[in-house]
Formats: sequence, C-alpha cells, structure tokens
Amino acid sequence: MTKIIVPIGPQHPLLKEPVSFQLTVEGEHVTESAMRLGYVHRGIERLCQERTYVQNIHLLERICGICSHVHTTTFCQGVEALLGVKLPSRALYLRALLCELERIHSHLLWLGVLALNIGFDTIFMYAWHDREVVLDIMEDLSGGRVSHAVNIVGGVRFDLTDDRRVTLLRQLNGLEEQVRILLGVVEHEQTLQARTRNVGRLSLEQIRRYCVVGPVARASGLDVDLRRDMPRPPYDGLTFQVPVRQEGDVWARTLVRMLETVESVHLCRQMLDLLPPGPVSTRVSRRVPAGEVVSRTEAPRGEVVYYIRSDGSDKPARVKVRTPTLTNLITLPSQLENVNMADVSVVLSGVDLCIACADR
Amino acid sequence: MLFKLLIFPGFLFLLLCAFVFDWVDRRMLARFQGRVGPPWYQPVADFIKLPTKEDTLPQGVNATVAAALPMLALAAVLTASVYVPVAGVVSASFEGDLIVVLFLLSLPALTYFLAGWISVGVYSILGGHRSLLQYFSYEVPFLMAVAGPAVLSGSWSIASIVAYQAQTTWGAVMQPLGFVLAVVGLIGKLKRDPLDIPKAKSEVVSGSLTEFSGRKLALWRLSMNMQTVVGIFLLVNLFFGESRFFDVLPAFPVFGLKALSILLLLATASAIYARLRIDQLADLGWRILAPLALLQILANVGIGG
Repeated sequence: MTKIIVPIGPQHPLLKEPVSFQLTVEGEHVTESAMRLGYVHRGIERLCQERTYVQNIHLLERICGICSHVHTTTFCQGVEALLGVKLPSRALYLRALLCELERIHSHLLWLGVLALNIGFDTIFMYAWHDREVVLDIMEDLSGGRVSHAVNIVGGVRFDLTDDRRVTLLRQLNGLEEQVRILLGVVEHEQTLQARTRNVGRLSLEQIRRYCVVGPVARASGLDVDLRRDMPRPPYDGLTFQVPVRQEGDVWARTLVRMLETVESVHLCRQMLDLLPPGPVSTRVSRRVPAGEVVSRTEAPRGEVVYYIRSDGSDKPARVKVRTPTLTNLITLPSQLENVNMADVSVVLSGVDLCIACADR
Repeated sequence: MLFKLLIFPGFLFLLLCAFVFDWVDRRMLARFQGRVGPPWYQPVADFIKLPTKEDTLPQGVNATVAAALPMLALAAVLTASVYVPVAGVVSASFEGDLIVVLFLLSLPALTYFLAGWISVGVYSILGGHRSLLQYFSYEVPFLMAVAGPAVLSGSWSIASIVAYQAQTTWGAVMQPLGFVLAVVGLIGKLKRDPLDIPKAKSEVVSGSLTEFSGRKLALWRLSMNMQTVVGIFLLVNLFFGESRFFDVLPAFPVFGLKALSILLLLATASAIYARLRIDQLADLGWRILAPLALLQILANVGIGG
C-alpha cells in the first residue's frame, strides 16, 4: 500500500493550538510520526529577566490560557520562600480555592475537547455548559474569567464576604451534580468507551522513563500528587482522595480527570467551610535577597516547576519554567506508533496538550 | 405529469423539504444538546450564501469533473425521488421501481468517493477511501433490510408495498428488526453522526469535500439534504405505509408526521453516540447487522411465503 504523509497542524480542526505532526499513513494505519513545536514560543523566560518581580506576575499569568492562576501561584510561592515571608492563612486558602476552581474548569474544558474530537458533540456542549458555572464563579471572585490577576507576592488581591461564601457553596452543589452526570457518561457510555479504551496506552515503566506527571501518570498507576505528597497549607488540613487507575489508556485518563473534578469540588467546599479570618496579604520588600529556589505545585495537567534565582535586585536573574505538558508531550511519538488514523485525535486529546505552556 | 414532476411531489416540494428537514434536524439536535439552534431561514441563508463565495479548486484537479460530480449526485437523488410516493402521490411507478431507487440512492456514495479521489489533497483522498469502506459496511445490511418489505409483500414496486401494508399493518410492526437495520443503514448512507466517519472533522478535516467551495459545495450540501429527505420518505413508504387506522385523517399531514418521526430518530442517534471508527463500523456491519438482516429476510419469507 502506498504511504502518504498526512499533516496534522500547525492548523487543523483537531488542534486548538498550533503544533505540527507529520503522520506517515498506510491506508488507515499510522506507521510513523514526527512532531514539531515552537509555534507559540514567546521568549517569556528571557522577558522575565528584564522585568521586576511585580511585573513578572502579570507576564507569567499569560503563559497559559487555562491554568493561568497556578503559574502565578507557583512563582509567588517561590519568591515568598526567597523573601522568607509567612503568608496569612486566609491568603493561602483563597489562593488554593482559585487553584481548585481552575482545575475543575480545565478538566471540564478538556472533556469537552475530547468529546468533540470523537464526534460526541452532546457531551462537548454539556461539559462546556457546566464549565461556564466555574468561569462565572471565578469572574465573580477575581474579575477575570481566565486571567485573574489576583496573586501578589505576599498574598492575594481579593476577598470573600460571608454572603458570597454561602451562594458559592450552593453553586458548587449544583456543579457537583452536573459533574457526576458526566462521570456517569464516562463510566457507562458504550461508544465513548469503544473509542477511548485501549487507545494511547502507556505502561507504568514508560511513565517512569518519560517522567510523565499529572492525570496521565495517575491513569497508568503512578500514584503521585503534590497536593498530598508535599502538602503545603491549606492542603495539609484538608481531606481528599487521589484517584489512580491502572489501565493507562485514554479512557482511564478521562475517568481520572472526572474523579479529580469531583474531588476538587469537595476541596473547594472544605476550604470555604474552614476559611480562616484575617488579612489576605502582607507587605513585602520589592528587592529579593540573593539566592535560588525551586517551587512546585500540582497544576491541572500535573506538576509545574519554577526555578527562580535572585541576585539581590528587584529583577530575577533567571526564571525557568517546566510545565507538565512538556513531559507529557514526549510520550506522543510512542503513543502514535501503530495506531489507526482515527485514533490520532483521541491520543492527542488524551494527554491534554497545552502548547502555549510547553512553548512559553 | 409536469406538475407532479416539478412541483408536487417533485423537485420544488423536495427542495422545500430539504430546507425544512435540515432546519428541524439542526433544531432538534440543538435542543438535545441544550442549545437554542438556528432560526428557520438558516438553511436557506446558507444555501444563498455559499454560491456567492469564491469557488476555488487545488491545482491539478479536473475542473469539469469536479463541477459534474455534485450535479450527478443531485441528479441521481432527484431521479430517485420520482419513484418515491409522497402521501400516496407518485410521479411514476412500475414493477421493480424499488430496485431503481436503491441503485440511484447509492450513486451519491460513488460520486462522493470520486470527489475525494480527484481532489488531490490528502484529507480528501483519506475521506474518499473511508466513504468507500463505509459503503461496503452499511450498504449490504441496508439493502437486505429494505428488501424485507418487498419479500413480505411479494412485489418490488413501492406503491404495491404501501398498498400491502394498507391490507395488513405497518411494515415496522411486522418486521421491527428490519426497520431498525434500515435506519442504521440510512444513517450510514447519509454519513450522519455517529457514522460521519468519511467527513470526521477531527480526523480528515471535511473528507472528500475538503477542497470544494462556493457553488459546488452548495450543490453537494443540497444533494445531501435531498438524499436525507428521499431516504426518509422511502423508509416511511416501506415501513409506515398506509394503514387502516389512519384512514380518517388526511394523508399528507400524517405522512409528514411519520417522516419527521424518523428524522427525530436520526437526530437522537446523532446526539447520544460518539463517532465509530471505520473498523468498528465494518465489524458492526458484517458481524451484527448483516446476519440480523438475513434473519429478518428469512422470517419474512416464512411469514409472506
């Protein structure tokens, strides 16, 4: 059979962000794949060295269009460690609350994209409809649906009244019901399983070798979650499950993400219940003492790592960002070996690519 | 005769139905998905808009063939419609017209494949291949399911099958399995969700029609919409023909109601299933649908013979 090269990207209906795959296809069978990255490289790490710590928060928020808050959280966390300040605990709770809301938003968005790519438009519509609830909550809290601009070195810039807390709890209850319906679809719907089971399978050994993180790793049996393994306040005082599956295919990843969404709703509820009183920020110096720090948080897609080095001025000497998408991207060539042409869309959706994060 | 051919139940009526069915279909699907859906004039607006767009083709494509293919598809569907009765009114009829209709309704599948084949682009070629594979998977069960009523009534004329149901009862009641198979086959034929494999957006962009635009795309879409209408009318005739119980009601609204019910079935199927893979469809077609269709025919021979 003749081989043809099918380009997927940089522009293709399957992709939401520019990345390029050259697939060598025999009939319906993909034999080889080549990947090209860098279409959305913006040189953010270099730009960081030109700007002050305060300006950098707004720059780093623009690394990702989905998990923007977790980037600034990780950065502020690192800078606060360098400064040696202790945050008021209300600030930590509010920061984590927005992180969990962002996780729900990210996972629901992802489910919609997967459903769209396997031609299940109804679930796409439902998932994105439910995601609107989270976006509305976030807009209400911070003023922004996606970019919140609430983190500052030394705390957060928003607060929650008691009235708002009650209505928020009610919104979260409604959201959980909706998420459970979607979870039921993932667990029981036959055609969805026919498309996602045994597709894009990664073994535990491959996961370890590629250093895969986040839901993709947890769907292959690797029990990692920074929120539990390296607990910072407020996570050390909260109870939650870390869903882990053994199958390692796209279906397991879907299930893990949906279970995580439910857990995140629980976490939000706990944080709202336990929200301590007090100030939401503390004053800190603009100059950061010389030193270096590694800051890690569990983003929706897995562990995000920031390395920050300071030379004692008000600008960082180096900021290095390792996003979870970068480690998960590396598994794609091996996942795309010997698959059906129709499974390419499932495999690419399965890892939850955030190209803007990977390219920076 | 000319009135029948051109106005009712002929081309003009069919054109109207194509727009109405397209709108009703989109509207129903939208309601299933928690959306509002387009206003009633949307299909007409789309049809007017497309011809005003630039009509381009890639280099190396035979322009004459590319222009002829959508017309051929449309012509085949329109010719088939001549033999399909609408509420008992039919332009032409003879013993064996069911076979002619089935043949004419499978021509668009061939033109669709050729459209992909001549289009040069990789997505078109992949889509064309897929449409042919899909054709082999759904066509056999579909033909067998549609042959069921013919075997039962002992005639290959659609009008006689309708008349036979008037004496007994609806085909769908006597052969429910055959009806389900015919609906599945029709979904495959019309390349609708969840069997829109040849034009799966996330896999092959728009399949065979990726490179088509402007007037040609408008014609393709019209022929698809008309195929939906003719296919549904055919099923209504074969499985929900005239019945003694509905004699008191006027024939035309009852026919319309039956047709829209089948459209509702199609819209429901699009809403509640994910798209299958081509190998899964081949499995479904040959391992499950074809044996079941055979079973139904054998049962029909037992009842009718």
